[in-house]
Amino acid sequence: MYPQEIHGFLLRFFKENGCEIIEGNNNYMAVQLTIEMDKRIMNRPFYWRYIESVNGESAPATLTFITDPNEVAPTVKGEVVYLGSPRLSQLFSVTNEMGRFVHLYEQVVGAQRGQSICTPWLGVNYKIAYRSHQTKEMLFSLGMNLMTGAVIEEFQKTLSTLKLSADMSTNTFHLPYTISPQRALDRLEAIIENVIAADDHSWALVAEKRWQKDQLLLDYFYEGEALLPPSYEIEKKALEEQYKPRVEIEIISGGLFYLQ
Amino acid sequence: MNIEKSSGWKEGFTERLTGQVPWDSWELYKISYDIIENGLIREFKGLQSLKYLPNVKPLPHQLHAAETVIDEMGGKAILADEVGLGKTIEAGLILKEYLCRGLVKKALILVPASLVNQWIAELHQKFHIPAMQYRKNYDLQFCDIVVMSMDTAKRSPHKEKIYSQQYDLVIVDEAHKLKNHKTLSYIFVQNLKKRFCLLLTATPIQNHVFEMFYLVSLLKTGHLGHYESFTKTFSATKRNVEDERHLKELVSQVMVRNRRGDTGIEWTKRHIQIFSIEFTQREKDVYNLIVNLSSVSRAFSEPLTMLTLQKEMCSSHIATQLTLEKMLRNCVNDEEVSHIQDVLQKLEQLAIHSKARKALEIIQQADNKVIIFTEYRATQQFLKAYFETKGISSVIFHGQLSKNNREWVKQLFKERAQVLIATESGAEGINLQFCHHIINYDLPWNPMKLEQRIGRVHRLGQVEDVQIYNLVIQNTVEDEILELLTEKIGIFEKVVGEVDDILTTFKQSI
Repeated sequence: MYPQEIHGFLLRFFKENGCEIIEGNNNYMAVQLTIEMDKRIMNRPFYWRYIESVNGESAPATLTFITDPNEVAPTVKGEVVYLGSPRLSQLFSVTNEMGRFVHLYEQVVGAQRGQSICTPWLGVNYKIAYRSHQTKEMLFSLGMNLMTGAVIEEFQKTLSTLKLSADMSTNTFHLPYTISPQRALDRLEAIIENVIAADDHSWALVAEKRWQKDQLLLDYFYEGEALLPPSYEIEKKALEEQYKPRVEIEIISGGLFYLQ
Repeated sequence: MNIEKSSGWKEGFTERLTGQVPWDSWELYKISYDIIENGLIREFKGLQSLKYLPNVKPLPHQLHAAETVIDEMGGKAILADEVGLGKTIEAGLILKEYLCRGLVKKALILVPASLVNQWIAELHQKFHIPAMQYRKNYDLQFCDIVVMSMDTAKRSPHKEKIYSQQYDLVIVDEAHKLKNHKTLSYIFVQNLKKRFCLLLTATPIQNHVFEMFYLVSLLKTGHLGHYESFTKTFSATKRNVEDERHLKELVSQVMVRNRRGDTGIEWTKRHIQIFSIEFTQREKDVYNLIVNLSSVSRAFSEPLTMLTLQKEMCSSHIATQLTLEKMLRNCVNDEEVSHIQDVLQKLEQLAIHSKARKALEIIQQADNKVIIFTEYRATQQFLKAYFETKGISSVIFHGQLSKNNREWVKQLFKERAQVLIATESGAEGINLQFCHHIINYDLPWNPMKLEQRIGRVHRLGQVEDVQIYNLVIQNTVEDEILELLTEKIGIFEKVVGEVDDILTTFKQSI
């Protein structure tokens, strides 16, 4: 992420959360936090408990973020924000917490009364991680038509081209779902598991081979000892944790979508 | 295949379907997806963390080392670059990569007490890793990345606190201190769970090939076989070339070692001179008296004491005198006492030590900043006083200095004094690239200590050729030390690989 992309992210993030940008240019910004955002990111629960208990005047913080320190006048004081900085990591994880569940309607433009019909879809974004002594991650975005059960891939890509809103369009008929979201979720999960099963898992074989080899060495080292020292068990456990191949499936976000 | 699913999302989704909790915004949903997509670790191999590190420009050999450890060695390795090539950077890169990949959540970093602050500063500034310095009242459960001095960590109650945590990665700096498997430090590290483990040392072998055996066994138990088989194959009596090649091959599977020449960086040269100094006749007489002390009194029957006395006599009269006076207290017999008093008297009558004169000559010729390494605190004081009479300013550096004082002395040396007189323990971890003359006033028994000394100045950032002067007094114990040093360097090169010039500029074969 380049400074400009980070700048863009900050603008989007704070605008969406109702925090006013009170000063700035393309390289820095001063943000007036809302009370909710202050509570989320400033980590000062005692202050807020105190203010609330005495019914005091609250003063949410103002933060200045510098996205391109090379282009900012030295008089501007603030936090330099770059990929990997604690502040950006924090805002990323706040975003992930705040953007996990949606319920949206496609906005149909120019529709005559009762002419357009929207179908319910369940969209789910899966993050899959292969882990042993190495890692690899993948993202799958699946969407299931809750009328027909049809499934499409790269669902998020499709969604991002559409105009969606939390409010229904007035002139549109929204079909109720025939497949319940919970059932759809189970079916999508089965699909993901099939995808994983069909994938190349030579990485896991490599890890298991290394594991075996190191375990043999360990056994050889203590060969002939009547009583194994505690370090043997510790080492054995460490090898398991280091090499044992595992697959992690995590749903990062998803929602119900009514699409034309 | 072992599949782990997290169920958190499903519960949240159901709560919202039933209307208990409001839905999230579409905009944040989209941003969140983009963030996660951007941060994916798409490949098993390669360093993904570099894009998060705008403040580090790792050198090619450092990147290569980090990649090798992660991709080939499965995250268990001895980082054995020559001094001054940036082992800390390599370790930082590896730690960062594992943090980014989610393979490491908790890491324990064990370093000498004097380097704790330096480590924390580097991890913060260069790698944005929120490392914490350990304090007695900290609950380790809440410190994910913790830097601790080995001396603290290995003792109760800290030891138990550490064992109760599950560390994913353990880093040990100056790992040659783990060469002896009977020490507390060794046993402590041995009983730590080491999923991923980095041992940092420029000098994995200091005296014996067994040190390598113990170091590797700590990292990867059994990699070099067990003790009996190892002893059989590599004991001094029956070494052969075939076995040595085999050992080197095994070691290279768990060790990364960059030499200065491999780095692609233009390094300044090392010029090494050995000055063979002759004692004056009177010094010779006293030296011989000391050698013969063992036949005079039983108090001098201990070979180690005799060696020390001889070495001290090669260093300064005052160092010898202090030890002799201490020994005198153990003598009961009048005859012995008077003999030693006689030696002491002769010692006091000696003029300035021949070696000190030589050192002065070198400093005057160098006409530049010089570091002198000696083994004895008494010699340190004597040299400082002697140089002062000749109008040469000097500062003293030793292991007992506090952290602040170390910085202060270093600053004084940089800005005011011409000479820094240091003992061995002062040699660790300080960087003095602004100086390029080193006098090894006394030679240690261990060649890697010499390498550590030279590494203080011959490191990244040095722009001048480095001048090294090794001082040896003829026909004394120092001749033997020199011989032994050469032999030990030979063992190191056979097992670990070549080393830069330490003793002489010409390679000697053994």
